[in-house]
Amino acid sequence: MKANSKPNSRLNSKLISGAIGLGLLLTIALLPLLLNLLQPVFGLTIDPPTSNLNAVNLAPSLTFPHILGTDALGRDLLKMIAYGALGSLSVGLCSALVAVTLGNLWGALAALAGGAVDNLMMRLVDALLAVPSIILLLALSSILSAPELVEHFPPFLLTALGVTSYTDGLLPYFIVILAITATTWLESARVARARVLAIKEEDFFMAAQALGSSFAQLLGKHLLPALATTAVVEGTLLVSDAIIMESGLSFLGLGLGPSTPSWGSMLKDAQSCLTAGNWWAAVIPGLLICSTVLSVHMLGEGFFASKRARGKISA
Amino acid sequence: MIIRRVLAAIPMLFLVSLVSFALMRALPGDPVDVMLGSAQKELPAEDLKLLRQEFGLNQSPAKQYLLWLSGWLKSDSVASTNALGRSYRDGRPVKEVIIERIPATLTLVGIALLLSFSMGLLLGVVAIVLNLKNKKADSALTAVLLALYSAPNFWLAFIALAFLASPYSSALVNLPILGLHPPGAQPSLAYAAEYLLLPAIILSSRRMAKVALYVRALAIDELGKEYVVTALAKGLSLKNVITDHVLKNCLIPVVNLAGLSLPALIGGSVLIETIFCVPGMGRLMVESTFGRNYPVLMGLVMLYGTIVILANLLADVLNNVIDPRLQQ
Repeated sequence: MKANSKPNSRLNSKLISGAIGLGLLLTIALLPLLLNLLQPVFGLTIDPPTSNLNAVNLAPSLTFPHILGTDALGRDLLKMIAYGALGSLSVGLCSALVAVTLGNLWGALAALAGGAVDNLMMRLVDALLAVPSIILLLALSSILSAPELVEHFPPFLLTALGVTSYTDGLLPYFIVILAITATTWLESARVARARVLAIKEEDFFMAAQALGSSFAQLLGKHLLPALATTAVVEGTLLVSDAIIMESGLSFLGLGLGPSTPSWGSMLKDAQSCLTAGNWWAAVIPGLLICSTVLSVHMLGEGFFASKRARGKISA
Repeated sequence: MIIRRVLAAIPMLFLVSLVSFALMRALPGDPVDVMLGSAQKELPAEDLKLLRQEFGLNQSPAKQYLLWLSGWLKSDSVASTNALGRSYRDGRPVKEVIIERIPATLTLVGIALLLSFSMGLLLGVVAIVLNLKNKKADSALTAVLLALYSAPNFWLAFIALAFLASPYSSALVNLPILGLHPPGAQPSLAYAAEYLLLPAIILSSRRMAKVALYVRALAIDELGKEYVVTALAKGLSLKNVITDHVLKNCLIPVVNLAGLSLPALIGGSVLIETIFCVPGMGRLMVESTFGRNYPVLMGLVMLYGTIVILANLLADVLNNVIDPRLQQ
C-alpha cells in the first residue's frame, strides 16, 4: 500500500524531528543568554525587563530595541519572553521530574507488594484520576496557599525557600510545583505498575529473587533501570503538560506571582492591553507556549523512536 | 459484564468522596476557624460551641465524614444544608449553589463533545484521503492539526475574544458571546446554544485535532492490513474500502477515546467558562478557589469526580454495545 512508508525512513524522520525539537527547546531555554551574546549587535541588555511609560504598546517592528513590541507597561516583549521562559520551563521540568519519580516508585512498590496493598494503592490513583486535573489543581493550590497552612510549614522549609516577613521567596514556585506534581504523577504510576508486573514474570527477575536479592537490590538494580527509559519519555510529555498547567494557573492569577515573569502571567497581563488594540502582547506568549509544547512532543517522539529501534522498548 | 462495571464504580465514588473530604480537612483548624478567621476571638465561647455543634464538629472525623456523605443523598434541605455546609460567600446552602450551575456546564461540554468528534472524524477522513492522494497536503494538514493540539484552549479563547472585540470582526461574524442570554431576557436552550457556540468550538479544538490525528493514524495502520488488499483485489473501489471497512474498524478505539475525552473537556471548561463569563460549575470553581470557599470547593471536587466516573461508565456500556467481542 502507498500509505505504508518504509519503516527506516519513518524512523529517520522521527529522529530528525526529535533533534529539531531539542534544538528549539534549547534555544528557548537559552534565550536570555543568546540576547546577552547578541547585545553588541542589537543594543539590547541582559537586565530583566523594566517598565518604560514612554514606550507603551509599541507594535512589533523589525527595528531595535523593541523587535517584538512592548506591553501596556512598556516592557520589551522579547525580554519578557526570555525571562518568562525561565519561569515556565523550570516549573515544567521540576514538576515532571518529581511526578515521574513519585509515579514510578508508587507503581513499582504497588506491583511488588501485590495483593490488598496493591489494590488499595492503585484504587487511590484511580480515584484521583477521576477528578479532572485542573479541578484538583485549583483545589490544591487554594488549600496549599492558605495562610493557615503556610504557618504550619516546618521552619527549615521556609528558610530553604527564602520566605521572610517581607517576601514570599520561592514559596509560590514550591506551591505551584507541588500542586502540578500532585495531579500529574498518576498516569506514570499506572504505567510503571504494569511494567513491573510484566518484569516480575521474567526469568532474570525470578533468578535474582531465587538467588536471595534483598528488596532494595531488586528495586534498585533490576526494576528502576528497566523503568528508566519509559520514564524519560513520560517525563518529556509531562513537561509540556506542566507548562500548559502553569500557564493556566498564572492566567487565573494563581501562578508564580507578579514578581516572577512566566508566559501564563504575560497572557494575564495582556488582557489589559487589548483595549489599547495591542493584540501582539497576547499572541506572542501563546505562540511560545505552543512551540515549546510542540518541540517537547517532537523530542519525546524522537527519543521513543530511537529507543524502540534499539529494542529497548517493545512496540 | 455491565453489572460488574456498575459495581466497580461504587467504591470509586466512595474513594472520590473520601479524597474530597480529606482535602478540606487537610487544613489546620476546623471549618469554623476558616470561616470566621480572626473574627473568632470576638465571639463568645458558647456561640462558637453552638456553631461547631450545628456543623457536627463535636463528633469524630469518621462520623463527620459519614454525615457529609449522607448530605448528598438527603432530599430534606435543612438536613442536607447542615451536613454539607453553607457557601462562605453568601450563606446559601452548598447543594443549591452547585446544582444551579450544572446545566450550563453540561450544555457547553455536550456541544463541545459533539463538535470535537464530528469535526474530528471528518478531518481525519480528509487526512486519510490526502495521505493517499497528495502527500504534501497531508503533511500540511497534519502540521496544522498538531499546532492546534498544542495550543492551550484558554489562549485561543482569549485571541477569539480579542478578535471579536476588534472593529474588523463585526463585518465578518456577529456572534453573541459572554453569558448565556441577552440581558433581561428569559434564559432558554436556544439562547444557550447560540451563546455557547463559540466557547464550545474553542473548547473542542484540542480534542478535535487529537481525534483527527488518531483517526488518521488508525486508518493508515488499517490500510496496510491484508483484508484491505483482499477487498481491493476483489475489485472494490478504494472509496468503498475506506467507508465500508476501514472506518468501521476505526470506530471502536474512537468511541473509547470519547469516554477518555470527557475529563479533559470538563476540565477545559473551567478556563473557558471563566473567560466567556458562562455561569457554570467551572466558573464557580474558580470563584471558590479565590474566595477560599472550602465547602463549595469540596462539593465541586466530589461532583466533578462523580460526573467523570458516570461518563466513563457510559463509555464502557457504549463500547460493549458496538463491539460484540467485549460481551463474551
